[in-house]
Amino acid sequence: MGKKLLLEKAEVPGIKGYEVYRREGGYRSVEKALKMAEAEVVEEVKKSGLRGRGGAGFPTGLKWSFIAKPEGVPRHLVVNADESEPGTFKDRYLMEFIPHLLLEGMIVSSYALGSNDSYIYIRGEYDWIADILQEAIEEAKQNGWLGNNILGSNFSCNIYVHRGAGAYICGEETALIESLEGKRGNPRIKPPFPAVKGVWDRPTVVNNVETIAAVVPIINDGGEEYSKIGVGKSTGTKLISACGNINKPGVYEIDMTISVEEFIYSDEWCGGIANGKKLKACIPGGSSVPILPANLLLTTAKGEKRLMNYESLSDGGFATGSMMGSGGFIVLDEDQCVVKHTYTLARFYRHESCGQCSPCREGTGWMEKILLNIEKGRGKMSDIDLLWDIQRKIEGNTICPLGDAAAWPVAAAIRHFRDEFEWHVLNPEESQRRNYGLAGYAEPLAIATV
Amino acid sequence: MEIVFSADQLATVQELVSRYPAGKQKSALLPVLHLAQQHFGGWLDVPVMDYVASLLTLDPIEVYEVASFYSMYNLKPVGRYVFEVCQTGPCMINGSDDIIDYIKQKLNINVGETTADGMFTLKTVECLGACGYAPMMQLGKHYKEHLTKEKVDAIIAECRTKAN
Ligand SMILES: Cc1cc2nc3c(=O)[nH]c(=O)nc-3n(C[C@H](O)[C@H](O)[C@H](O)COP(=O)(O)O)c2cc1C
Ligand code: SF4
Ligand code: FES
Repeated sequence: MGKKLLLEKAEVPGIKGYEVYRREGGYRSVEKALKMAEAEVVEEVKKSGLRGRGGAGFPTGLKWSFIAKPEGVPRHLVVNADESEPGTFKDRYLMEFIPHLLLEGMIVSSYALGSNDSYIYIRGEYDWIADILQEAIEEAKQNGWLGNNILGSNFSCNIYVHRGAGAYICGEETALIESLEGKRGNPRIKPPFPAVKGVWDRPTVVNNVETIAAVVPIINDGGEEYSKIGVGKSTGTKLISACGNINKPGVYEIDMTISVEEFIYSDEWCGGIANGKKLKACIPGGSSVPILPANLLLTTAKGEKRLMNYESLSDGGFATGSMMGSGGFIVLDEDQCVVKHTYTLARFYRHESCGQCSPCREGTGWMEKILLNIEKGRGKMSDIDLLWDIQRKIEGNTICPLGDAAAWPVAAAIRHFRDEFEWHVLNPEESQRRNYGLAGYAEPLAIATV
Repeated sequence: MEIVFSADQLATVQELVSRYPAGKQKSALLPVLHLAQQHFGGWLDVPVMDYVASLLTLDPIEVYEVASFYSMYNLKPVGRYVFEVCQTGPCMINGSDDIIDYIKQKLNINVGETTADGMFTLKTVECLGACGYAPMMQLGKHYKEHLTKEKVDAIIAECRTKAN
């Protein structure tokens, strides 16, 4: 049983409301932080080794220390609750069941950054969760945790909820800032970085919901204690949203020392593959990260057990590894078609491309069309190479990383499942009646005993 | 329908504008468009967008370009109930194709169409952050998850009862 820092209390009856949350020890980190200097709070976060939970894994304390402090210019903390990466639904869980934890983390973080007006940018579809947050904000205000001179300190803080309106690209931090300014979500060219010139041209820090929630245990227990959990540069706990063909889909808080095998097969987490089927493949960190076949998922190319942490999941680079990403863990069983699944992702990225850069705008559309042709039995062998070529021309040639995010899933599917693409081309009729299954891939390790 | 907000709605607009720094009222555009769509028939007709522009002292084009960018704003009329079924990978492998087909057959419409009585619109959407509870759809403010044919039947029946 791993240690839980964020969701430990998420199932306490009534924890959504202020009374119970406070009784269970909520808002202690605000009391503690407001007695510290701002820089000391930043220092604790640095010591914790916390890495951004939104996908890129950038060290949070370091990011905070970059914020510019020009005289007389307000600064802002913006929480990224856009959560739109397919496979990812962890921030939703946290906000829905324990909303005060996010607010508590935001107050402490706002204090550290000097933000008097902080925003939660939440995807528009999470309409009812925006209401939950709004209610929690009112409660926090009534109890003196928000507003002017909190706890008699000189620090004042307001939190506002801002609903998006359906656009994955607004999860990218500069697109999010544009959207918060009431514009189309077109990512900005960097530099300048948000830490210097963000929302309304003011210094801005954008952090993921889970990142900000993790600040609470870091301040309560100290950055050093937090850094002792996990291994290497994967400190603390991580929320994983697990979905696909597993017995127990859901949101799990793990400490980053468990193996992928345990995570999939243990009853504490995913509970094994649904319907007694075999594991075929997995996208371990949200739709943008490379898909891995079962054998490479469970063991690295060096033959070591792969663990659920940043370093181990990316071991082997893109040749034989993947990424932790946002923690969206998508499991495919032996009956799933990799070509079709990849097609739905290509369609997703075409739909979500903002259209500013031609490699992304045009390339995502081509990839979608070609994948659909192959999936429908209308593909040619040369299409597979064409797909490879297109994804390579997108990667690295765009304003924002959505281009890479669209290219990687296609590249990895071809890299590891090329025989399945070829089978579709060579068997146009049969491929319409049945899926390729596991043929041709290394037999998944015979597990089940964890 | 006259396109003006009630006094209460105007107060809400004021409150929304007050969340952003003075002079940055454009920031309230997304939330005000949500409000407008909700109160003026479920979609954003040009006069509605012009009205929002005048409320926030923006040029109409600033509103049009935003309304056309975000998928939640409807630029064409929709039915009273809009079924927005997710079709991305994780929902697909859990049977969203069958659910979409079933709804099509049951309502006798295609994706993107509205039933003749103006009651239902069927749309397909991309991942809504409910992948672990697939297949799923959004219906108004809430999500309907773990969809089955029986559940779809019940949802349709419930909408019909509510409408009467
Ligand atoms: C296309 C795209 C979509 C993204 N979507 C999200 C998202 O939904 N939530 C999120 O926290 N970060 C998302 N990110 C990452 C953000 O740009 C940013 O790095 C993150 O919010 C920083 O927070 P963190 O350091 O706490 O992870 C996305 C990035 C890209 C390129
Ligand atoms: S990479 Fe795609 S989403 Fe990003 S700015 Fe360019 S066109 Fe827009
Ligand atoms: S794929 Fe359907 S909700 Fe995520």
